[in-house]
Amino acid sequence: MNKRKHRHADLDAELSSPDLDCQPIDPQTGQPLPLRAQVGYYPGYQTLRQQRFWDAATRDVVMRRMHEVPPIRFFTLAEARQLAAVAARIIPQDDRELAYRIPIVPWIDERLHSGRIDGYRYEGMPADGEAHRLGLQAINDIARALHDKDFIDLTPPPQEGILRTLHDDNPPAGHAIWARMPVQRYWMLLVQDCIEVYYAHPFAWDEIGYGGPAYPRGYMRLQHGQPEPWEKDEVRYSWRAPKWSVSQEYTPLGGGHDTITPGQEGTH
Amino acid sequence: MVKDTSLFGIFRKENDQPHQLGPMQRLDVPMRHYTDADVVDVVVVGVGSAGGVLVQRLAKAGWRVVGLEAGPFWDTERDWVSDEAGSHNLYWNDLRITGGKDPLALGANNSGKGVGGGSVHWAGFTPRFHPSDFRVYREDGIGADWPISYEDVKPYYELLEREIPVAGPAYYPWGDPHGYIYGPHPLGQVGAVLVNGCTTLGIRSVAGGPVAILSGSHGDRPHCIYRGFCIQGCKVGAKQSTLISHVPDAVAHGAEIRANAMAARINLGNDGRVTGVTYFDHAGQERCQRAKLVIISGYAIETPRLLLNSATTGYPQGLANSSGTVGRYLMAQAGNVILGRFDEPVRMYKAPPAHALTEEFYETDRRRDFARGFSIQTVGPLPIAFAKQMMVAKGAWGWGLREVMMDYNHWSALGLLGEILPWADNRVTLATETDQFGLPVAHAHFDLHDNDHKLIEFGKNTVMEVMRAAGAQEIVQEPRYAHLIGGARMGNDPATSVVDGWGRTHDIPNLFICDGSIFPTQGAANPGLTIQALAARTADYLITLGAEAAAFRPGHTVMPPLRTELSPAQTTGRGVPRLTSRTPNVHIGLGGLAPGGKA
Repeated sequence: MNKRKHRHADLDAELSSPDLDCQPIDPQTGQPLPLRAQVGYYPGYQTLRQQRFWDAATRDVVMRRMHEVPPIRFFTLAEARQLAAVAARIIPQDDRELAYRIPIVPWIDERLHSGRIDGYRYEGMPADGEAHRLGLQAINDIARALHDKDFIDLTPPPQEGILRTLHDDNPPAGHAIWARMPVQRYWMLLVQDCIEVYYAHPFAWDEIGYGGPAYPRGYMRLQHGQPEPWEKDEVRYSWRAPKWSVSQEYTPLGGGHDTITPGQEGTH
Repeated sequence: MVKDTSLFGIFRKENDQPHQLGPMQRLDVPMRHYTDADVVDVVVVGVGSAGGVLVQRLAKAGWRVVGLEAGPFWDTERDWVSDEAGSHNLYWNDLRITGGKDPLALGANNSGKGVGGGSVHWAGFTPRFHPSDFRVYREDGIGADWPISYEDVKPYYELLEREIPVAGPAYYPWGDPHGYIYGPHPLGQVGAVLVNGCTTLGIRSVAGGPVAILSGSHGDRPHCIYRGFCIQGCKVGAKQSTLISHVPDAVAHGAEIRANAMAARINLGNDGRVTGVTYFDHAGQERCQRAKLVIISGYAIETPRLLLNSATTGYPQGLANSSGTVGRYLMAQAGNVILGRFDEPVRMYKAPPAHALTEEFYETDRRRDFARGFSIQTVGPLPIAFAKQMMVAKGAWGWGLREVMMDYNHWSALGLLGEILPWADNRVTLATETDQFGLPVAHAHFDLHDNDHKLIEFGKNTVMEVMRAAGAQEIVQEPRYAHLIGGARMGNDPATSVVDGWGRTHDIPNLFICDGSIFPTQGAANPGLTIQALAARTADYLITLGAEAAAFRPGHTVMPPLRTELSPAQTTGRGVPRLTSRTPNVHIGLGGLAPGGKA
């Protein structure tokens, strides 16, 4: 397989205007923080530097994830561009230098193109691919109802406001679509799909100080959060979301007016 | 059942590549292959936790055995990765529909596909059920009784704890108190959180097990390296799956493991007995394996689905379903994850997710307003799972998600494991959708009932208290479910159950079910050990009956001896601590006979 360019020019357009208004701020000064190649509290920690201690099968999977970003095949270009704008608000990367942003849409597209599902579908939900398509239409319906524009033509603050209505399970438009697909099921599908791509990437592991692949070497320091010799101690810095942002408020999923929707991941 | 004839089944190596089961163990014997013309002694549908043990026992006893497995026959070095997202293919990812007021998440949450089944991606907690689990209705007037007792299963718990083998504390105080002969694992920080919190509150806890994870090397399986990827498939081979503990012995004794073979229906003959299994082979071709006896080991969703898909004249509502019970009494355990943030780092990706627990709240407590109880156990979500939990537990998305994830190393997770009772309306039926083979897929309906709600609320709050006592500053929780049980329950009454206490279907004498689907209740213990123990017990029963196994004689009862000689090499006998009970209801103390009699 050819090694592809790390990023997609088509989708880059949505992510590539380093608008200062979108960057997180230093709470002391109120000024935007400078872009970083490596975000997070573990400066200099790079899981990829450990790859000669990984097994071959794992190295192959992770390096393909790094370097063989798939082409868009499931979504139309317009859909992919809109989803990229949505993903840029669900997992904002405005603090990362462009070359260190993690491509999300190509992998969601790849999953839907290859028909890979999680083994089940909720009663009353369309198939994953159709759900994504309908969701993007409904998001555009909300954008037009509130702002008279398509989602992609809005700036990040109103974009976040629109997504917040999905998080709150209270969208002001798109009701014909929500009649076919529960808002909260779609929101979980959307956010989980973004999470599965972002936190599978070595750049995200470096950001959160996660050890990454660990076979055959394993760990020897199990207690008190001690780092292994090749891991780094935490060096924290203060930051806040941009002032206009509503996504750092931790409001209950579904607006808090109902019981919490159960999680879907396997842990035990 | 039938002695070998040399022309029956051809031994063949798949290819010249070594088939690795962990870094040290190789499957290097030729595997026997049967043809469509052969009538084998038994077909086991599903080579998972139960199926892996069944094929091993029956093959070692000389039966001609075919194990049909819908998924691949893993080579762990080639197929498995030390990577969370890359392990997606271990799960049952084919379509199912889930619904009801409290729908169950399926897939990665509770179902495996491939040789080893769910034991490939279980976290490996191996507590026994308590004696009270087998008589829930008698004690609480709710739920159901088992047709067998704890004493019937106890010898098989002891046997499987050696065959797996289980590492754990020397003294385990709950249920039927017992100890583990293989040493416990060192404590990780999540375990320290559980033990510290429980100790502060005066709650007993144990650490280092019981888990199906090697604390010392065993045969050609290395010990644990504490990398925390248990539910992604243990490449190390330290965590047991039947793929590495029993299937190699099955193949060495002439069992055929036919991978990528999806069972479509069980065939019924004119005499009211099953004649074999129709399945789709690796190339998608419909084929039939004839057999004298069929055992379904497809777990709580696929076992009922296969029976329902096998409906025929005489059994219009599903094979072996004259009672209408097939698919009913589906259960999952309450598996709420309680997450606490600590000032000091935790790094919960290290150490096995499963390694400390308390069963102090397991039994019915008359002072509470609900029946039965729960356990509290360590869990260790990796980043993707943790991020999804934070979306639900904390309402995280956008910058909030990025922020809480940057604190991943400060969070610890504890799991509730709560007993949800069996309810008739929680059930598996057939959906209108079909799968890639054109077979109707399963529809799982699930509602929580009053007792379940009360138990979950109390249990969740108790785990939060433990987390608080351990020193967490911020505590959030995510509701979810763990494990699957039921759907083809055992019982004495053919009108209200599908199989008897040995797994034989009430309706069809040569059709058995052996997996988690036959449990009438589920306790607050992880089901994996009990599933494997019941498989060994059913195997002993079948072997004792021999050629009569496929027949049915009313009133004929057999109490099989415990056949330790069928254990995989080096798991019983010389050098292995002896069993304390050898046959049901017979206890032999430390001065008694050695296992196998001749050791």
